Amino acid sequence: MTDINATTTGSASLGVAGAAEHPAVTAQGAALSVRHLVKQYDNASAPVLNDISFDVPAGQVFVILGPSGSGKSTLLRTIAGLEPIQGGEITMGGELLRQAQSAGKLRSASASDSTKVGMVFQSYDLFPNKTVLGNIMLAPVLVQKRDKASVQAEALRLLERVGLADRKDAWPHELSGGQRQRVAICRALIEHPQVMLFDEVTAALDPEMVREVLDVILELANSGQTMLIVTHEMAFARAVADHVVLLANGSIVEESDHPQEFFDHPHTERAQQFLATFTYDRGQRQS
Amino acid sequence: MDFGFMMHYAPYFVNAAYMTVFISFFGLVLSLVLGLICVAVQMANVPVARQIVRAYVELSRNTPLLVQLYFLYFGLPKLGVSWSAETCAIVGLAFLGGSYMTEALRGGFEAVPRVQLESARVLGFSPVQTFLHVTVPQALSTAIPAVVANVIFLVKESSVVSAIALADVMYVTKDLMGQTYDTYESLTLLVITYLVILLPISIVGTVLERRFDYARR
Amino acid sequence: MRGAEILLQPGVFPRLLQGLWVTVWIAGASVLLALPLGLLVGWLMTLKNPAVRVIMRVYLDFIRIMPQLALLFIAFYGFAQAFDWNLDATGACVLVFVLWGAAELGDLVRGALESIPRTQYESAKVLGLNSWQTFTRVILPQALRRLLPASVNLVTRIVKTTSLATLLGVVEVIKVGQQIIDANRFQYPDATLWIYAVIFLMYFIVCWPLSIVARRLEKRWAHD
Repeated sequence: MTDINATTTGSASLGVAGAAEHPAVTAQGAALSVRHLVKQYDNASAPVLNDISFDVPAGQVFVILGPSGSGKSTLLRTIAGLEPIQGGEITMGGELLRQAQSAGKLRSASASDSTKVGMVFQSYDLFPNKTVLGNIMLAPVLVQKRDKASVQAEALRLLERVGLADRKDAWPHELSGGQRQRVAICRALIEHPQVMLFDEVTAALDPEMVREVLDVILELANSGQTMLIVTHEMAFARAVADHVVLLANGSIVEESDHPQEFFDHPHTERAQQFLATFTYDRGQRQS
Repeated sequence: MDFGFMMHYAPYFVNAAYMTVFISFFGLVLSLVLGLICVAVQMANVPVARQIVRAYVELSRNTPLLVQLYFLYFGLPKLGVSWSAETCAIVGLAFLGGSYMTEALRGGFEAVPRVQLESARVLGFSPVQTFLHVTVPQALSTAIPAVVANVIFLVKESSVVSAIALADVMYVTKDLMGQTYDTYESLTLLVITYLVILLPISIVGTVLERRFDYARR
Repeated sequence: MRGAEILLQPGVFPRLLQGLWVTVWIAGASVLLALPLGLLVGWLMTLKNPAVRVIMRVYLDFIRIMPQLALLFIAFYGFAQAFDWNLDATGACVLVFVLWGAAELGDLVRGALESIPRTQYESAKVLGLNSWQTFTRVILPQALRRLLPASVNLVTRIVKTTSLATLLGVVEVIKVGQQIIDANRFQYPDATLWIYAVIFLMYFIVCWPLSIVARRLEKRWAHD
């Protein structure tokens, strides 16, 4: 785990201590730091997220595992700004991103927020009233006020990268789930977010389509994008993670900088229990 | 079937059709405006106004247009308010139509999946931008079939305005039958006129539904 | 307001209630007759026979596209001449409502039956149920759930449409109200407002509970 050096220069990726350890610091990935995060719903008896703290160094892939209801999605959503937090704070590249709000209401998103965090959801909903290209171009033009021609050029490059350049004029309903999800990734990436969040993005897909989406994420990981991924695809998690965290009942149960070791020899019993749910043993036949 | 008769009296029906279309048109425009206002109130969650809208919707949907018209045309003058028959008809139609449009539009807005709004938010859209570029297009797409159905419904309901002596298609038919006793021909003209008014609306409606069905595929 | 006192006059309220009863009676009779006919129509609509389908389609579309008042005129003034029936106004109303109600109900039935996934029939078959058992124990309960809320809605619409009977001369609640207003033109000139208000409320009291029932049913049986 590295500490975050608070030398901010406006561009959040610079001035991060530990850069020597992680040479792949790019203009795209910033470091994320979560400290004592607490999230509790109004009429709940216990917090969904209970004093969570962790660091994600710039350009690293952080995988969050855990049983359902452990708060994984909620964690991503608080980072994305979709849910308010009741305690703790989240900083990105040394700058404060989210903090506890006394009132229950969220501040409305500002244009600068859109460059910080990008998120891809489990339901691959694109805007149905726009083509693939339209979907990708809408936000950078409207929110980031970028020039249309350059946005279009970049959009086409992104589509090329995920293998969908020939579908730029297609409508969402004409695409398969996997294709739509890849477009959703482009849509998020084109805003140059410093951190990308993936919330079980393949859970709703047919098995054949899972691969094409995960391949895109793998490629993205190699380009140095800071990412937090919530997934159930264990083989994928094993391959892509730089750091692994197991969340259960709102707390971090185990974490590791060496994912291979975590998957092969988890330290805590809870982790062992969790990983065991993914392995099958037929047992002895009664004779 | 006396075609000569029908040709001779056709002009009356054409005029009557104009009346029907005239009343329906303004009634519809007001209905939509009223519907939009009511939906806005419901979504903005203004406390007292919300209950008023709710009460309005229930009252106008559970009572017949005829009674509403009689109340306006015969009842209001007793309070000193004296509206022309046309005004009563349009107001009555708008009163009834407004609640139907409110329900249709509300269905559209409620059908926009939450994930769409969240995606927009994470992409950095302001609330206004989300409303204009994400909510409205999808709400409209979902609501169009219901709105089209309401348009047809209200045009049909306008047949009731004959009761307050407006020279619409029903009135003219009754008049003609009373004068000439040629009921077959009169009724045939009646059917033809309504078909001529309603079929195009139905066709345009279907075209609109198809054009905007992106949220329903 | 002086006009309100008319409601307290002897005989006024009872007469209005009698008129309301006529309204409810016409609606009720129409619904009762429309039910079996509607089920029949609905079943006919699901048949594969193209001729039957076309006939049903034309029937449904015609009844739906014409305003109800126009249909009443056609029945009352038209049929009487055509078939030499001496259909009185009430009869004409019931006839039209039954035909209209059956058409709408038929369409609802068709929709409900068609919306049941084929897998339901297939699962039942594989489990060994025969046609009759499948229909009564698997299909019908599901169809009814989809059908009922909209049907109750239809009943509400029929009640509201009986108001048109006034225009044919039927002495139902609106007509009674008008008679009362006319009879008391001098003593209670403001009666108009109050009588119509009461009639308005009477329709509301009959229809609103039905709407609520329809909505409750829909919520209870909301299917995904």
